[in-house]
Amino acid sequence: MAERPTFSPFWHRVRAMKPRLRPHVQITRQFYRGRRWHVVRDPSSNQFYRLNPIAHEFVGLFDGTRTVEEIWKIVLERHGDAAPTQGEAIQLISQLYNSNLLSADVSPETEQLLRRGRERTKQKATQQAIGIMYFKIRVFNPDRYLAWIEPLLRPLLNVWGFGLWALFVIFAMAQVLPEWETLKSGFDSAIAPANWGWLIVVFIVTKAIHETGHGVICKRYGGQVPEFGFMLLVLFPAPYVDASAAWALPSKWKRMAVGAGGMIFELFVASVAALIWKNSPDGSVVRQVAYNAMFTASLSTILFNANPLMRFDGYFILSDLLEVPNLMQRSMKMLQYLWKVHVFRLKNETPPTGSPAEATILVVYGVAAMVYRVFLFISITLSVMGRLFAIGLVLAVWTGVMWFVLPVGKFVHWLATGSNIADCRGRVIATSLASFALLFGAIGLIPFDDHRRARGVIESVEDTGVFFGTTGFVQAAHVRPGQFVRAGDPLLTCSNDQMVAQLAQLEAQIAEAEATEQRAMGNDQAAAAQIAREQLAALHEQAAYVRERLGRLVVRAPHDGRVVGQDLQQMVGSFVEQGAAACQVVDPADLRVVALLDQREAAWPTALGLEEFTAEVRLYSRVQDALGADVERVVALQKSLPHASFTAQGGGQIETDPEQRSGLLAKDPQLKMYLRLAHAEGAAPDEGWLGMPGERVALRFTLPSKPLLVQWLDRLHKMVQGKVNI
Amino acid sequence: MTQALTKYHAMYEAVRSRRRRPEVPKGLDALANKAVVRARNLRARPAWLMAQAREIDRLSPSIRGLAEAALDEQIREARDRFVRGREDDALVRRSLALTREVARRVTGEEPFVVQLMGALALYHGRIVEMLTGEGKTLTGSIAAPLLAWKHKHLHVLTVNDYLARRDAESRAPIYNRCLLAVGAIQQEMDQAARFEVYARQIVYGTPKQITADYLRDQIRMGQMLSAWAGRQQLVQRGGGPLVPGLQACLVDEADAVLIDEGVVPLIIARSRQEDEMSEVYRTAAGLAARLDEGPDYRIEHVKRRAELKRRGEARLEGMFGDLAAGGEPLWRATRRAEELVRQALVAKHCYKHGQQYHTVDGRIVIVDEYTGRFLPDRSWEHGLHQAVEAKEGVTVTADRETLARMSFQRFFRSYPFLCGMTGTAADATGEMEKVYGRPVVVVPTNRPLIRGQWPTRVFRTGDAKWHAIIGSIAELHRAGRPVLVGTRSIAASEFLAERLSNRGLTHTVLNALHDKEEAELIAHAGQGRKAGQEPAITVATNMAGRGTDILLDAAAREAGGLHVMLTEMHGAQRIDRQFIGRAGRQGDPGSAQTFVSLDDELVRQHTKRLGQAALRSTGGEEITGSPLVRRLFRLAQRRSEAHARRGREAVLRQDDWMEKYLPGA
Repeated sequence: MAERPTFSPFWHRVRAMKPRLRPHVQITRQFYRGRRWHVVRDPSSNQFYRLNPIAHEFVGLFDGTRTVEEIWKIVLERHGDAAPTQGEAIQLISQLYNSNLLSADVSPETEQLLRRGRERTKQKATQQAIGIMYFKIRVFNPDRYLAWIEPLLRPLLNVWGFGLWALFVIFAMAQVLPEWETLKSGFDSAIAPANWGWLIVVFIVTKAIHETGHGVICKRYGGQVPEFGFMLLVLFPAPYVDASAAWALPSKWKRMAVGAGGMIFELFVASVAALIWKNSPDGSVVRQVAYNAMFTASLSTILFNANPLMRFDGYFILSDLLEVPNLMQRSMKMLQYLWKVHVFRLKNETPPTGSPAEATILVVYGVAAMVYRVFLFISITLSVMGRLFAIGLVLAVWTGVMWFVLPVGKFVHWLATGSNIADCRGRVIATSLASFALLFGAIGLIPFDDHRRARGVIESVEDTGVFFGTTGFVQAAHVRPGQFVRAGDPLLTCSNDQMVAQLAQLEAQIAEAEATEQRAMGNDQAAAAQIAREQLAALHEQAAYVRERLGRLVVRAPHDGRVVGQDLQQMVGSFVEQGAAACQVVDPADLRVVALLDQREAAWPTALGLEEFTAEVRLYSRVQDALGADVERVVALQKSLPHASFTAQGGGQIETDPEQRSGLLAKDPQLKMYLRLAHAEGAAPDEGWLGMPGERVALRFTLPSKPLLVQWLDRLHKMVQGKVNI
Repeated sequence: MTQALTKYHAMYEAVRSRRRRPEVPKGLDALANKAVVRARNLRARPAWLMAQAREIDRLSPSIRGLAEAALDEQIREARDRFVRGREDDALVRRSLALTREVARRVTGEEPFVVQLMGALALYHGRIVEMLTGEGKTLTGSIAAPLLAWKHKHLHVLTVNDYLARRDAESRAPIYNRCLLAVGAIQQEMDQAARFEVYARQIVYGTPKQITADYLRDQIRMGQMLSAWAGRQQLVQRGGGPLVPGLQACLVDEADAVLIDEGVVPLIIARSRQEDEMSEVYRTAAGLAARLDEGPDYRIEHVKRRAELKRRGEARLEGMFGDLAAGGEPLWRATRRAEELVRQALVAKHCYKHGQQYHTVDGRIVIVDEYTGRFLPDRSWEHGLHQAVEAKEGVTVTADRETLARMSFQRFFRSYPFLCGMTGTAADATGEMEKVYGRPVVVVPTNRPLIRGQWPTRVFRTGDAKWHAIIGSIAELHRAGRPVLVGTRSIAASEFLAERLSNRGLTHTVLNALHDKEEAELIAHAGQGRKAGQEPAITVATNMAGRGTDILLDAAAREAGGLHVMLTEMHGAQRIDRQFIGRAGRQGDPGSAQTFVSLDDELVRQHTKRLGQAALRSTGGEEITGSPLVRRLFRLAQRRSEAHARRGREAVLRQDDWMEKYLPGA
């Protein structure tokens, strides 16, 4: 704990002053985690100041007749060590004075007053400049309108109203949720560019209602709402109201109600929109607008407003709920404090809180908020960069500067000049460098697995089709699909009466020809016998052919494998032409995966030897199992696609060349890679079986380990490469 | 009527000057400010200044021939143009040529070209670095008339009252000839006399006197917002301000005044009548004596802080309990009581008799740690003074309460025009630019420097060092050379004096004496061996006799000139250089040598562990040969410089904060 010297060298500046709280200042009492605080508020400028009970007692004695010295002595007498020190008293007076909450008997110099005003303006301008992503434009004072709306809604602004609202929302959800599939399918068209116009209009309207919600509830509890305007949230106009008057409300439930007011109103809108959507005809404009309203009012509310990790409604609600004011700021302070005490081993640091419970909350929240911040930064910038590269880049640079460069800069400045580390600066700098080196070492030097992903399709090397050898009627099916067969096993038996008759006829003819031959031989008619023999030979040939064809009436497995295709049983009785496909018999040993890699990914497979990386395949149908696969060969960039399922039309991701009729020519060349699924050693052929030709798979390649930093830079480079000519 | 108008004008200027609230820029503003200072520096570059000085030199022959009346006429003309604000480079050159001629005719000294360059640099608001003995006083006195003409009132600030009076008197003929009245503010002057002196165009004085007068004016004027509002005060005699505003300031010994004195703000205080606290302080001293260093508390010597350990706190808790039971309410509030004990501990360990203070007639007198001079009218704040009194067992005086406080930095920044001269400013260039927005110009010497710099000798222990110093003094003394020995504290000078007496070496000791005697004594420090006279041995604290030249007599010159010995390194290299600069002035022969030991306070305070390591890793008495050890001393000095700089920055920051955020003036 830091020392608290009783005396301050500046005491003479305030000692004889006779301060008085300005008459219009309001003080309300609030409880935070069971401790009493007093919020001093100036309604005219909406400035706040939070006082602990002793400070409040100190300030409460400011009556314009006692001097600061007298007041300080009174408080000192009453509270001893707990009383503010001279330094703390000066700090308090100066802050109250500079927030215009205090009037002193000194006539402040005009210049000083003016400078204070100027500085405030300048500070505001700087804040605006820094928060360019959250630029505020004030439009009007909504108080009059709220004063008009609020009495109308007052009968509902209570617990009963809240219950009705909850019932209504649940009812609407119950109505809409059964149509979940329709809802889901509408999503794509809702975010399609064609719908953006509607989306923006609906967004602004619902958000205006949202803000009205805050305003009305704030008004309900007696707060003033002096400002309505637009905030350029990442250059997108979002309405806002200034409901900060709520901060001074004594009840935390009321404060939370004001914070939740926006979401309550907005979810109400979403519910109404949902009912309209459900009951309006398909394809109508009303239905589309209702969908948009439902979409923005529910999704944005849940994703953003309710999210306590960003400084939106959810944050303030959580802050009030936990009774931890200034949650974000103090969380960061807490983390800094822990770091300073445990890593830098600094003494004389004051923690932002003395209560262990509060400290836990601060730490948990701080860590969550930081992780979320990094996650948000990466995901937002990546997704925006993927679509609108330039804007994404600006956004990324800006956020990067605000969230990372500035804090680091401040930290370095503190390292260089901070007076609290004057006598251990060397050690603190060394510790910082070591921590940085550790971090850098972790991401810059220690190799981690490098994974790349691709999509592929299973195909068979050899033909797998089983065809009917002759025309005929299917008489019997001997196998079921999925059954494993050995080469030669019968699959189907067909009948062809015509051919049987033909054979009988031929056999009769043969008999006849044999008889003729015999006769001729007996008659010693050599020439005639010769003729008959030739005829016989021809007939034998024909019969053999027919017999052979009859033999083909039994369809047999060409090789070991599994029967794939329609249920053969269903074919029984049907007439089949010769050459018609019966089914497939797939030999698992013969299956391979063909994968396509984007040309930006083409570098590594060619640069690395086949043995330097491994691949892992997951079937779309069985994502839970990862199968080993060996890369057989890599084929250089080609435009031709091996399978229609790669194309965008076929459900894949590769854009095809629109000029080409076949639809199997990609717009950009692709790298082809053939892999063979590895089978477990010694397993029966049946057991290694997975997937079938044409099935889509996801591939994950494991490249030689590389430090994370190298991997990230590599990826960033690839992403930029696609967008900018480098 | 004129009297009333002058008074009103003084009031007007005084009110106007308090409106200027210069703050030291921070962050990006500081960078921008630096760029502006640099840009302003572009025109008056040293080369340009030198060229201008040469041109002035070319003007001189024509002026030298002027009759007295014609000279007066030309001076009047120049003055009138300055007063009307019509000055240009040509007029500045001409006027400097005129003041140069005046100086030649009146005092017989003709300024050299380098001095003209220095005067020009002053005129352009620079901090001028001129080596000791290069004639700063003369340089200042030819620039001052121009500044006084231009800015109406010029304050010339110097380190002590004696120098202020001496310079004001010796320069008066020049100024009078330039139609300017001059005076010096002295400590013992009363209100009326001060009032009269401040009305003159050129006022010599020490920063303490002038700042205090200015602050008292501020207190007296209270919340007054305009001169018109204060007209009632003018009716009463002496009601008006003493200092008629701050307009221009020429600082002699700029580094001492602007930088070294910036550590402590000036405080106007009065004794508090109430609260009889002397018993409390004595009790606290008693409690402090019962605690043991190490298990109970720890002392941070550099910061002058005491930190109580858990055991100490627990023990004190018990003692407080007993005392509170005894009826003294103060001991009930643990924090305040602990504070008193900590203060007593600091008084016990960090404040030493003969170093930080002296007892004179049963009173504690603060010793200026930089100058070694007594500061009889000062006291430490917030009970520290009382704690030291309690420790020494003298009468505990009443605590004093602050009425007003102002940092010297802020005071000097309140002058719209500031310039200065010093022997060693280059070391402080950064701070001069940052705090005062004044660039530093180095003026070349008139004659080449031939002072011999003997290598620094390093010893493991203080005893060995003192032994070597005395040996060296004796040796030089035999060779007939006058020796000036610099010590850091009064205690050290007395210690050395005693050992010299034991050796039978006649010597003079200068410490915390009156400025005038000091100057006279030090003027004799350059005497060599003559009939009936031994070469001088002078032992002095570092600032003693500053501003007075040590003139060599023929015998001393013959023997090799003055030898300066430093018995310890000071907290800042500047001070070492300043002291060494006393030898070899204006091309005189001379030499200098520094003696240091690992026992020195500088090492003990700033590089304690390294010092101990060096002590362990070396053997023998003298360890001059080790380059690492030599570097250790420079490191300690750097740390001390940085520590002092941080202290000054803190003073300034607090001052700025106070002005900005606390109500009232």
